[in-house]
Amino acid sequence: MKVFLGMSGGVDSSVAATLLQKDSYDVTGCYMKNWSRDLPGMKCPWAEDLADAKRVATMLDIEFKVFDFETQYRQKVVDYMLAEYQKGNTPNPDIMCNEQIKFKLFFDTALEQGADLIATGHYARTDGQNLLRAADDNKDQTYFLYRISDQALAKTIFPIGGMQKSDVKKLAAKLKLPVAHKPESMGVCFVGEAGIREFISEFIETKPGEIRELETGQILGSHDGAIFYTLGQRHGLYLTTGLPYYVVKKDMKQNIIYVSRDLNNSHLWSKQAKLTDVFIRAGQTVPKNLRVRIRHRAPLAPATFNAKTQTVTFTELQKSLTPGQSIVFYAGKNHEICLGGGIISQ
Amino acid sequence: MFYLDHAAATPVSDKALAAMTPYFAADFFNPSAPYLPAVEVRKIYEAAKDDIASRFGGKGTDLIITAGATESINLAFTAVTSTDSNAVLISAVEHPSVIANAKKFPKFGTIKVDQYGQIILSDLAAKITPRTQLISVCLASSELGTLQPISEIAQLIRTERQRRLQAGDKTPIYLHCDASQGVGLVDIKVSRLGVDLLTINSGKIYGPKGIGALWHAHQVKLRPIVVGGGQEMGLRSGTENVPAVIGFAAAIKEADRHLASERKRLQKLRDLLRRELSNNPSIKFLGHPKCQLVNFLPISIPGLDAERLIFKLEQHEVYVSTGAACAARKGVKSPALSAIGLSTEQITGSLRLTLGKLNDEKTIKQVAKIILDVIVAEQERIK
Repeated sequence: MKVFLGMSGGVDSSVAATLLQKDSYDVTGCYMKNWSRDLPGMKCPWAEDLADAKRVATMLDIEFKVFDFETQYRQKVVDYMLAEYQKGNTPNPDIMCNEQIKFKLFFDTALEQGADLIATGHYARTDGQNLLRAADDNKDQTYFLYRISDQALAKTIFPIGGMQKSDVKKLAAKLKLPVAHKPESMGVCFVGEAGIREFISEFIETKPGEIRELETGQILGSHDGAIFYTLGQRHGLYLTTGLPYYVVKKDMKQNIIYVSRDLNNSHLWSKQAKLTDVFIRAGQTVPKNLRVRIRHRAPLAPATFNAKTQTVTFTELQKSLTPGQSIVFYAGKNHEICLGGGIISQ
Repeated sequence: MFYLDHAAATPVSDKALAAMTPYFAADFFNPSAPYLPAVEVRKIYEAAKDDIASRFGGKGTDLIITAGATESINLAFTAVTSTDSNAVLISAVEHPSVIANAKKFPKFGTIKVDQYGQIILSDLAAKITPRTQLISVCLASSELGTLQPISEIAQLIRTERQRRLQAGDKTPIYLHCDASQGVGLVDIKVSRLGVDLLTINSGKIYGPKGIGALWHAHQVKLRPIVVGGGQEMGLRSGTENVPAVIGFAAAIKEADRHLASERKRLQKLRDLLRRELSNNPSIKFLGHPKCQLVNFLPISIPGLDAERLIFKLEQHEVYVSTGAACAARKGVKSPALSAIGLSTEQITGSLRLTLGKLNDEKTIKQVAKIILDVIVAEQERIK
């Protein structure tokens, strides 16, 4: 069986390569070149990552290819992300990247080039039909994968999905993989969470605006663009008042950020979220007794889903249900089956 | 470790390290300061510069210390006074730094090279126009080691200079030679070569990195890129990097002293490596059969991916490189290897082996075997 494995030059996909090899697959390592531009204060590590991926592939004596998806990544992921920010939402580019690039473009290209299956170093499992949560609960990445196509999932292997991250690292060290001690990249792969502000600034012109206290309407300070702020955000407000303030509301039209000192502010807490672009995986029905995740690593929260109104209702109040982010559904034994989910619209 | 990448970097020699060490802490003074210990440092600094310059038959006052060959090349290009887009000519096998500087003149000319990477003098002669102000040709190509006919180029420039003089045309024309590769292996004298500007650096001749120099003839008017306190005759401001210059001088002195013997030794080793590698007929040797730096052995194994070979070899602690592989990963073809007419397949399969102090006969025999084995294994894999 010929498997095309997405290799990022990181520990996870490198260990995945060794596991596939051990299972006697004919493995081809593939680096997806999605972005290469350096941005102010951020050196894009693509060339080093590509070299690392190729170094591991060479060490394992497997075939190696580079897929250049820069144009498509810009269109499908970056443009989407920027449009969402402009609407005042906080999009999740990783979800879009998995749906559009890794499990669509890469999947299609791999099959065209003779692959029987694809594989990635994601922490997730599949039984060939269902998308299942990873064995390592802390690393589970099904939140980012809920929208990948059913056809792609049917032909995907997640070699490390049954492992604990700590064991993956140990195995990498034992096998003396040159990337065994490489630090992990977090968040939006190419900028990291810290760089998102600089990233947006490169593409969208922003204007300063007022920060007002929600309860009093009083102007507390100014911000450099409402686009940069996310519901529930506490840091980066640069207010010179003692107690912390939280972003509770954004008025994109007026470019005003509303903040509150009250962690219990009703804008911050909600039991309901309306969804858009709901995607339910093939063969799944959404049961009454549902568990959902409102962000990566958030605890599984009991909730119900009304398909008619596309609304999720939680048993408990939830903090900062952020438009643009996804709510992902789980059910089954130990709630390990990922049913799909949708994007929060309000 | 088997280090075959001396053209990329060399370890600082014991002598250079010992020479520079006192100037980091004990004799740390700013050479521009007025008190005696600082004046002493200034004297030693100037003497080191004189020492460096004298190796090339020049004077310390004509030597501008820079942060390396790249800066020297940038400074050399300031000799061009015209804004004519075709004021510059470079060879087709120059270092990226020379190419980048030439690109400041959108219609710069490229002198063709033959299959060995040596410039074709008739092509240069045909490309010199009344507007040409700077011709920049390396002493030896950094990818092939092919030596360029610098004094013949200088002769062509002298003829053009003569013509301009008789025509009353005051447009200057200069020859810049980037000698980043070759110091310590070739006896370089500015007057014999006939160059007006010479770039040298320390990091490839067992001196510290981040230090280099540009020698210039008196008549060449340069414009400073780094301005400030007016150091280096006003052409390169900033407090002098005293320890690095002392280390540079010590390294160059040592290189000079051992030039003849090291040349002979490295040529023998290079020829040995070449003979050993000849056992695999698919290995093609690149560069000039005669006019090549004695420590260079660029090769190509068409059909193989040189970057894979590099990663395979590093597992055996064999360190080789190629500018071409790095460029290929970034999606561009090495201009130098393209210029000598190599196909994409030949370029992708090219490696640069460069010898130096860290090699001896025993290790060369060992490393030859490792290289041959790795190449055969890769050839088997893709069969």
